[in-house]
Amino acid sequence: MGLDIFGIIALAQSSSSSNSLGANLLYFIIYILFLGSFVLAFFPGFQQRSQLWFISRDVEQKLSMIENYLKDSKSVSEKLLKDKGIPDPKAFLNRVIERFVIDPVSIEPTDIISRMKLLMRSNENTVREMITRLNPNIDPVSRSQIEISAEVTMALNQIYKIIRHYLLMAKKLNSIMIMYQLQMVAPIYVKLAEAYDKAQKVFLQGIPVGDGLGPLVASRFLMKASHKWTVSQDTIAGIVEFEQRRLIVVKAEGPMATVGTPGEAVQNVIEKEEGKVARIITVDAALKLEGEETGSIAEGMGVAMGDPGPEKIAIERVAVKYNIPIDAVIVKMSMEEAITEMRKEVYEAADKVVDYVKNLILERTKPGDTVVLVGVGNTAGIAQ
Amino acid sequence: MAMGFESSKEQLKVKTEIRCMTCDYKIVRDFQQGDFVPKIVGQCPKDGGQLYIAGIYAESTAQQKK
Repeated sequence: MGLDIFGIIALAQSSSSSNSLGANLLYFIIYILFLGSFVLAFFPGFQQRSQLWFISRDVEQKLSMIENYLKDSKSVSEKLLKDKGIPDPKAFLNRVIERFVIDPVSIEPTDIISRMKLLMRSNENTVREMITRLNPNIDPVSRSQIEISAEVTMALNQIYKIIRHYLLMAKKLNSIMIMYQLQMVAPIYVKLAEAYDKAQKVFLQGIPVGDGLGPLVASRFLMKASHKWTVSQDTIAGIVEFEQRRLIVVKAEGPMATVGTPGEAVQNVIEKEEGKVARIITVDAALKLEGEETGSIAEGMGVAMGDPGPEKIAIERVAVKYNIPIDAVIVKMSMEEAITEMRKEVYEAADKVVDYVKNLILERTKPGDTVVLVGVGNTAGIAQ
Repeated sequence: MAMGFESSKEQLKVKTEIRCMTCDYKIVRDFQQGDFVPKIVGQCPKDGGQLYIAGIYAESTAQQKK
């Protein structure tokens, strides 16, 4: 043995004395740092600046997630445009996603609906014309896919730009209050962006979405219709006999990804019937409150429609003109469930809604009456 | 109105439900590109009636295992 017991003790003592010197130095540095940060905390604005820095890091991380969804959506749209024979897809997409519609003047609300309708329809038709000009032989389904894909990319682009705007503004102004608000809403927008990203892929595969509940119910009735016709832009109507009642069923024209123009369609149908309609029944998907079950059914009065105004008011106006009661049947689902693949619970609810509507007609109308049934929603993957 | 996103992490499988127009025959298969409601997809092996796509829906893989 090279070292005896005394040698080991002596070695341990010498190493412990050098260790304790190092430890003391470390404690001293930590103490100085602690004292320094304690003093700094009392400097005006230091706490706020450090908080601002930490929160901005968090928001930047969320923004980068949104940016990734945007990039993914752009590449999906560009690939689609290329596949459908649109020359220079990147330039076309950039032109479409930067489009905007200016709200009509609301300080003078007279005829605001017709002004809003004009602007919205003109915008839709302009994008449609832009696509058909670049590929005149494009089929309606492909064209609707391009429209919806560009719409999703446009929505993601808007979310990204707005979050980025407020982040940069908060940094520029050193505003902790703006940064706090941004930190609160950013996770919601990340989730929304994720849902949009998923929705784009679902629409492009032609899979019905949760919002297609209304058109699916209408399609169940229209399968038995002897006569169907185009009643307004992208919208179909058909007549079905049910328990000695005449049922006029309206839905968007599928299987394209469109919501059609149900308001104008109902208006045209009722005017053609000279107002002799006993009841209008609207069926739509509705956003549920947290805690409510997906696929649960509820009924009420009014136009079940998530429209910004023109389509919904067209039904209300014609109903008021001829004093026709409007029933609403809704199936509840979350935002994500409404814009992505139709869930089994929602699909199963469709057949229940068909029976619900039949009972409602038997309860509230009499033989010989005419009823207008409207299946509201996006009809992707659902024809008639 | 809710902004629910609770199901964002679930794995979904898209299915196509095919029914017969004249009897209660029904089959469910995986979704194929080009499927839409109510596309006619053949004849019923039970009574020779027309088979049509009654619905296309997604169910979670957890739901399928039940």
